[in-house]
Amino acid sequence: MSHCDEATNDIEVSTNSKRSGTDGVSRRAYLASAGAATMFASAGCAGGGGGAPTINVITWNDFAQDPVVESVEENVDATVEITSSTSSTEMFQQMNQSGDFDVAVPNNNLVPRFLNADLIEPVNTDAVDNYGSIYQKFRDFVGQQFTQDGNAYGVPIRWGWYGYAYDTREVPDHEPSYNIMFEDDYVDTDLDGQVIMYDEAAKTMPVAALYLAASEGGSSYKEALTENDRMTFTEDQIQNMRDLLIDQKPSLEGYISSDTTFIQQFQQGNFLVGHSGRNEIVRLQENQDADWVEFVVPREGAMAWYETAVVSQASDNPEMAWEVVNEYISPATGAELARQGKSPSCNPNVADELDETEAELYGRIDPERIEQFIPFKDIDSDVQEPYNAAWEEVKA
Amino acid sequence: MAAPDRDETLRATLVRGLSRRRTSLGVTVGPSAIWIVLLLVAPLAFMTAVSFASIDSVTFDIVWEPTVNNYYNLVAGGTSEYSLGPLVYKATAFEKAVLLSYAIATVATVLCLVFAFPLAYVLARLDDRMFKIVIYLVLLPFFTMYLVRAYSWRLMFGQSGVLNQVLGAVGVGPVGAFEFGILAIIVGLTHAYFPYMLITLYASLDGLDFSLIEAARDLGASRVDIVKDHIIPLTLPGIVGGCLFVFVPSVGAFITPQILGQGKVQMIGILIEQRAIGEATNAATASAASMAVVVSIVVAMFLVFRYVNLDELGGV
Repeated sequence: MSHCDEATNDIEVSTNSKRSGTDGVSRRAYLASAGAATMFASAGCAGGGGGAPTINVITWNDFAQDPVVESVEENVDATVEITSSTSSTEMFQQMNQSGDFDVAVPNNNLVPRFLNADLIEPVNTDAVDNYGSIYQKFRDFVGQQFTQDGNAYGVPIRWGWYGYAYDTREVPDHEPSYNIMFEDDYVDTDLDGQVIMYDEAAKTMPVAALYLAASEGGSSYKEALTENDRMTFTEDQIQNMRDLLIDQKPSLEGYISSDTTFIQQFQQGNFLVGHSGRNEIVRLQENQDADWVEFVVPREGAMAWYETAVVSQASDNPEMAWEVVNEYISPATGAELARQGKSPSCNPNVADELDETEAELYGRIDPERIEQFIPFKDIDSDVQEPYNAAWEEVKA
Repeated sequence: MAAPDRDETLRATLVRGLSRRRTSLGVTVGPSAIWIVLLLVAPLAFMTAVSFASIDSVTFDIVWEPTVNNYYNLVAGGTSEYSLGPLVYKATAFEKAVLLSYAIATVATVLCLVFAFPLAYVLARLDDRMFKIVIYLVLLPFFTMYLVRAYSWRLMFGQSGVLNQVLGAVGVGPVGAFEFGILAIIVGLTHAYFPYMLITLYASLDGLDFSLIEAARDLGASRVDIVKDHIIPLTLPGIVGGCLFVFVPSVGAFITPQILGQGKVQMIGILIEQRAIGEATNAATASAASMAVVVSIVVAMFLVFRYVNLDELGGV
């Protein structure tokens, strides 16, 4: 689309310049040349179908940034059209309702939903030759979460983890623990109305589960988070998590889901402790020079996300779509993506393309460290209704 | 001279055609009827149908098997306790969202009425030139986008919002009431819908015969009696109209509570949005919740119109 627009604009510029000096050109000749030029431009636009195919991708805004798109188009013989989305659920709905997209890049927890709805096709390992370079841990996650009959259905792209951040000017050093969010005497600072939680069940309910898992006899909560491809809480566990979050609510400043809002509010001093992703904090520290923010991983454990590229069964160019996906984890494009989102790539080789500062913030991660993280998962369909109802009651 | 003849013939044909009742109805009412059928009746009918269907938990497709479960679940199974001052009650999330939305909308409507009525009265008494100046100044802030105005209120509230910073500077704050939440939403809604109330009340007061008020005064009526016995009864249709224009959109408000509630206040619009396109995607339960709200508002309007004639809304 943008290429056509550019071509048309070029034509307008040239005809305008001609019009300014057309004393010697008859009106008929002028119209004829303009018509020919328009036809030429139209042919150029329509001719796209005969040249490089267009791969339509629905994904996060980082993927729509020029350095990323240009890097992909330089290395793959395709035009990439990005539709920005702000949620994995929206990506699922869009791909489910229309056959317009070749590729989607939801978070890993939603990929089983795409798979069960028969929307996506197995990874073409010939086209995705960078797949072997990604961390073993993520390949294991793929094996656990969305592999059927020996076929993987998605390719991990970037990843990150959730913990909490606090304002070191007000909150003293402490052993990192979710206790800070649920117990008012955990630190020597009055945190009443000073804590922010994530405005998403998928992120906040696991925090409640990890907190309860650390209590006496609570190990089953962690098992429900870790042992299957989905979260398999019992209804009793869901009610306990709900009650914990309802009890916590009066002492919260609120729930925030947008990274930008989180950063703005943290800077304004509207809260002191915030459940957050690491990339938000890296962005805050890097762009705003906020050396008063400390991001920590609680001792109870931390949830990790990884974006996963999937290719639609309805794609007209599945092989080219997989080549685009392969490019997203290549060192060159992977580095651009890491820079845009301040999040490390699932391919450690991407770190070679980053400078020293960048590599320190979102470069290669010690594989032993990755072992500590629990991947986000969708809720088991057997308890989906009580789980959704519990979150609605928390928010009510 | 053939062209004028053709024009005449065409004109005569058009006049003949339009003078037929069916054709004139088609030309005048037709476009708006098509618009309403396509963009209101058809979606509403579809939403009604979906509210009696269910959603496949794997494919998320609509399963067209009639069920009333979506409605039943709106009011059944609530186990959470909520408190409102000394009152503790058990309710479902939907019930609480509806109650909260109605309460917030009622307060916002009353505030709009209280603030707009005196101003509308003054506007109705002003001469034409002054009226234009004052109404322009009053409505000037409303020429900016609704979203921008909501975000500007966001800067005012919060732990470190402008209000709390000012109070903190004079040694009184921060005050919890000025954090994000119900008060912030009420302020945002009152501000957003104030012009609807003002214009409706003005239209009503402008048609008032002020000589009646002067006569009442001459006959010894107090100011309170005049307002109670003359102005309010005569402008009641305008008051009801203004209240409807504020109350109905306030009940279903989404942007204001989203921006000023900081995720802590779940009004019905937010609950429906979460069910429609949020994490807990379920078009059937979202449709049932929407239908319940539509029905409750239609019932409320029906009750209002039992006492006020629809023709009188907006003017005496």
